[in-house]
Amino acid sequence: MSDTRFLDAGTPPERFARGWHCLGLAKDFSDGKPHAVEAFGGKLVVWQDTQGGLNVLDGYCRHMGGDLTQGTVKGDEIACPFHDWRWGGDGKCKAIPYARRVPLRARTQKYPTVVRNGQLLIWHDVENSAPDMDILPPELPGIGTDEYTDWTWEVLDVPGAHCREIIDNVVDMAHFFYIHFAFPTHFKNVFEGQTATQYMNSTGRPDKAGEGYGDENSILKSVATYYGPSYMINWITSEYKGFITEILLINCHVPTSQNSFKLQFGLAVKKPEGVDDATAEYIGKKMTKMFGEGFMQDVHIWLNKAPVQNPLLCEEDGPVYQLRRWYEQFYVDKADVTPEMTDRFEFEVDTTKANEYWRAEVAENLAKKKAEDDAGAGEGADAGTPPIMTGT
Amino acid sequence: MASFVPTDPHTLEDQRLYTRARLVEVSCLDCLATVGVKKNSEHHTSIQWSSDALRHCPEFARMAARPEGRDVHEGCPRMVASIEAAVREGKIPIGAEDGY
Repeated sequence: MSDTRFLDAGTPPERFARGWHCLGLAKDFSDGKPHAVEAFGGKLVVWQDTQGGLNVLDGYCRHMGGDLTQGTVKGDEIACPFHDWRWGGDGKCKAIPYARRVPLRARTQKYPTVVRNGQLLIWHDVENSAPDMDILPPELPGIGTDEYTDWTWEVLDVPGAHCREIIDNVVDMAHFFYIHFAFPTHFKNVFEGQTATQYMNSTGRPDKAGEGYGDENSILKSVATYYGPSYMINWITSEYKGFITEILLINCHVPTSQNSFKLQFGLAVKKPEGVDDATAEYIGKKMTKMFGEGFMQDVHIWLNKAPVQNPLLCEEDGPVYQLRRWYEQFYVDKADVTPEMTDRFEFEVDTTKANEYWRAEVAENLAKKKAEDDAGAGEGADAGTPPIMTGT
Repeated sequence: MASFVPTDPHTLEDQRLYTRARLVEVSCLDCLATVGVKKNSEHHTSIQWSSDALRHCPEFARMAARPEGRDVHEGCPRMVASIEAAVREGKIPIGAEDGY
């Protein structure tokens, strides 16, 4: 018998997760035009009606399959560019201008919508259940007021990975050091009901990028919670030499196929006292750029890694198996959700040994760098954007 | 309906080892909650709650009732104290078995 360990690639689910999914900032859909959103293996059409409500339907007309995203908003309805069939936000065909009557069966797939914290969320469930309003992400006090900067919003395409890859990061303590050049000192996970949370305290790594967030003096306290399968709110407090910044980061995704997804993130900064709006906006933009680079570091890993259903873990790793057990609840029928998928589970990672080794590695890198600089060989490497990453 | 399906039977054994093996029952010293606990090292703690245990915990009920608080809570200090007491009494073996 061989002791060699093999990767079990497993087979990904055919369905897409049940739950609330965020399509983007509500204001970006509110221009009276139809918008196309790639999602759940197809395309959705999003438009605003005359009451200001946002509507989401399957993107293809049930008549001859015309592309509604290339149609026109007429009154409250979206009109198909092919034969002008008019579809309402309730999924019913309201009129066919050239026909005596509308067929009774003219109903298409509609997605219930909610605008929360300035973002458009839709309910997706292959069982076609009513939207569960009790499990919406919470409203964030101060968002949308002068207290915070406006959301920034970025979209990254991940063309060759199942979206469970991004979920796995919730429990991945060590990758913050190796991928994101952060130094986690405290790391804990809590899963309960439809939420999965990561608590992390981290500092910068002085051997990576010399200034700002790469600095040991940069201390991040992060609480990041997934509300359902795809929408994470990350509360971050950043302290740098006594200067405290409070940040809200949204990290969410929409699956586009069984092996691809669109990652979206947006960030709002609580305007610090005595800081003018322009400076606060600047901090927000700079942070967005830094997190954007962090997400890109993750994307690079996902696009090149192998899927693994049987990860081999060491003592310093987080609870991947329990996290996946939690995630499973969104991929089975509601009636098949078992207590162990939703029961509360807590896991505190022991960071002491890892921190000991990492401190030594950082010191060694700094010494090497100093020796190179002294020899005049330093080429000013690491002059890029200082790294920062939490939650993912 | 099948979800993420392992293709190797050993994966099921891995799932069992990592999620269910070596959990020691610990009862709260202050309420009727009983949880499953595993400690791979002094600073590592894994706590498996059940809905029954959660129902018995007055601390979580108190935290949930706080209107201004977040809806996710890091843990119950009384259960943490109870686990520490169980460790002191040698009821919870400390150490990982090949990482699980």
